[in-house]
Amino acid sequence: MNMKWICASLFVVGSCVAGCGHQEVPAEFVFVTSDEHKHLDPQKISWSTDLRIIQCMFEALLNVDPKDLSLGPGMADRWQVSEDGLIYTFHLRPDAKWSNGDSLTADDFIYAWRRALLPDMAADYTQLLFCIDGARDFFGWRQQQLEEFTAEDKGAARRLWVQTTDRFEEMVGVSSPEDHTLVVRLAQQTPYFLELVAFVTFMPVHRASVEKTERIDPITGFMSDDSRYWTDPSRHVSNGPYVLKRRRFKEDLLLVANDQYWNRSKMKNTSILEKIITNPQTALLAYRNGRAHWLPDVPTASSLAADLVAQQRGDIHLQPIAGVYFYNFNCSKTLVDGAANPLADRRVRQALSMGIDRRLLVEQVTRLNQPVVKSFVPPNVVDGYDPPAEAGFGFAPDKAKRLLSDAGYPGGRGLAGLSILYNTGSGHERLAEAIQRMWDQHLGVEVVLEAVESLSFSDRLKKHDYTICRASWIGDYRDPTTWLGKMATDDGNNDCAYSNADYDGLLSQAAGQTDRELRFAALRRAEAVMLGDSPMAMLHQYVFLHVFDRERVLGLELNAWGRYRLEQVSVR
Amino acid sequence: MLIRLLWPLGGDNMTRLIVSRLIQLPVILALIFVVTLTLAWWIPGNPLDQPEGKRPSKQIEEAMKRQWNMHSPWAFAASYLQSAARGDLGPSMQYRDQTVNSILAAGLPVSAMLGAAALMIALVVGLIAGVIGAIRPGSVLDLSSLMLALIGVSLPTFVTGSVLLVLFAGLLHWAPVGEWAYTPRHILLPAVTLAAAPAAYIARLTRLGLADVINSDYVRTARAKGLPAHRVLVKHAMKVAFLPVLSFLGPASAAALTGSFVVEQVFAIPGLGEHFVRAVQNKDQSLIIGVVLVFSTVLIGLNLLVDVAYAWIDPRIDLT
Repeated sequence: MNMKWICASLFVVGSCVAGCGHQEVPAEFVFVTSDEHKHLDPQKISWSTDLRIIQCMFEALLNVDPKDLSLGPGMADRWQVSEDGLIYTFHLRPDAKWSNGDSLTADDFIYAWRRALLPDMAADYTQLLFCIDGARDFFGWRQQQLEEFTAEDKGAARRLWVQTTDRFEEMVGVSSPEDHTLVVRLAQQTPYFLELVAFVTFMPVHRASVEKTERIDPITGFMSDDSRYWTDPSRHVSNGPYVLKRRRFKEDLLLVANDQYWNRSKMKNTSILEKIITNPQTALLAYRNGRAHWLPDVPTASSLAADLVAQQRGDIHLQPIAGVYFYNFNCSKTLVDGAANPLADRRVRQALSMGIDRRLLVEQVTRLNQPVVKSFVPPNVVDGYDPPAEAGFGFAPDKAKRLLSDAGYPGGRGLAGLSILYNTGSGHERLAEAIQRMWDQHLGVEVVLEAVESLSFSDRLKKHDYTICRASWIGDYRDPTTWLGKMATDDGNNDCAYSNADYDGLLSQAAGQTDRELRFAALRRAEAVMLGDSPMAMLHQYVFLHVFDRERVLGLELNAWGRYRLEQVSVR
Repeated sequence: MLIRLLWPLGGDNMTRLIVSRLIQLPVILALIFVVTLTLAWWIPGNPLDQPEGKRPSKQIEEAMKRQWNMHSPWAFAASYLQSAARGDLGPSMQYRDQTVNSILAAGLPVSAMLGAAALMIALVVGLIAGVIGAIRPGSVLDLSSLMLALIGVSLPTFVTGSVLLVLFAGLLHWAPVGEWAYTPRHILLPAVTLAAAPAAYIARLTRLGLADVINSDYVRTARAKGLPAHRVLVKHAMKVAFLPVLSFLGPASAAALTGSFVVEQVFAIPGLGEHFVRAVQNKDQSLIIGVVLVFSTVLIGLNLLVDVAYAWIDPRIDLT
């Protein structure tokens, strides 16, 4: 029996050795992503890890300079805005080409934007296109058609689809008078529209090849496309600096320079390898062994990040980003179980917010010294907008106690039924425990901790089934509304159930304002009103921890918005 | 019942065993499908939600639900079964540029290769240590194999894995880190990590089994016949002592061949194990069902193999 096993194991070892030919294709620049991609379809993505790699393969009308975040020509080499700010005309560069050599035209943009606007596509960022004239109506129309759809005969779904494409042309304010001219008509003034067109959702896709993957379901009428297209190098066509060369699920993604790219001569490297390593310790080991040049995703909630920072190494870089970490207070009059909500009284919310020593949190708990914030819009992330930090709250235990007394809870007595809800597995428990202690110590308020896994967490937030919960918000485009819109009474992400007519009024006042300064002033007033009501206890700005050696990796610019131009990176 | 009805088909015991098990397979899988679907549907939360709380508008969410047939469990089950009948296990809701088929096709060979290597190591090490322990009980070799077995069983894989990785990849630079290929260099460390616990178990099973048998009458008779010691051991004693190891091997192989979450995390291996955990966390229903069906099939198949091997080794056993 033993002999049989020995022979068999020799065979296996032998076959392993025979398979030794497999060799890593080297790339000039290697970085590690901490999680597998959710999507690689520009119209569907919303995660920063996906955005990073899509920026390498696709190029929008305008490009963002990672150094100063200024907008420059991309696929469009010039553009005009009408005086009323409603018509945008983009002139595409005549030499713009797809990686397969096809000429890139305005039609590719219109097709991509139509994809983003189809309810069939279930794209995360469809709402960003609703500033285009007729876009919201088109989406609603298609959705209603799909809901009412009955497959009367074999051709019904196809007929609806033809009708949909016609409807899009009639309803939505995008057109191409010439092959290389794209005209966009907006529904209302959107001062940050140029920021939007530089964003991933607005990137073009190669119509001829993507259209081939479309399929109309004869029973439901839905259009779906083959999502495998986006990971299949043999079909994938791109217009950015790189083309997809290889994609191995949960392993890596290899990109090589796109010879058809208009700015090919300025590229500083010819290939990029993105490795996918979920375990941060393993990623760090790979970096130390010289198998990766850049770790952009070291999880900041882990003690690993704090330990790295404590080592004060030259290759650790902390980059504050356009996002904040905070605690939501449920502002509804009653809780889901029908009980009266003590947090409906803004004095209680203000007191709780003042009972948190943020400095201690970032120094002793997270140990990353994140910038403490009092405003919802983080400072220094939107040019020209100075958030009203003075309207927010910092650590003031004495004032907090007085407020609690005024609200009928002297020394915290009688204030019961509060809990901190958080999702497990991302380090939130450490902050929750510290804050629980602070409230007990400084205010005499007892809260319980409630840990749930992340899907239940999102679900309970949506139903407002909580009293206090941890939260975060990361901006999508460079305008205060990407934060402030969340707190509007009817916004789907208003998890606090916050409602203040003054706030909503100031937001709409700002929306009608054409002058940038006046608009920002109105938004600033709105933010101050909201911060004063304390629907959230602002804690700190997010930071990302990057590991790379600036002496070796040249041209890698970090910024608050996660915009990279990896084609400008060279490795010494 | 069904099996009894098919009895007239005839054939010897072995054929009957195999045929009846193969007939049971789809029935068992169908039951597993129903149970898994029900459980997957009960997992709280909405797979379309982003964990960071940023969520699409109600309209878009509605569109998403319809797109994925998630508005009702019946619609989901019906569409899943329909596509599964065509061999398509549906799209993954978490990795939207992948299908469950492509995820399984990418992960299964990796996990199977690693699992096979780990099983080989576990068997070779476990059997040798077990035999030594049985024929020289109380010796230094026996005690050290007992020690190793104890360590192998007690240390969790994330500890053994991390220690091996830091030692051989971090300090000695002998092994690669954070990459995968079908080469001994890439396979060895994770396979050893994965093999530690089953090797220890096999060693103890072998030692116990052999110690029992070695003093039995028929072994004494074989020795008295004048057979050399190694022939007595291999031909007579091991044959019986191996049976407990064999029954352990069925489920152990199924677990090893379908991957391990921890080992995959530590060594960055693109196997299947991760999905058993993360698919549930993400409520990725198609993927949950996909991996559970694959695991069940492998488990049932391997158990059948074990039973066949049992009957082959020990003709006294009648499994039918």
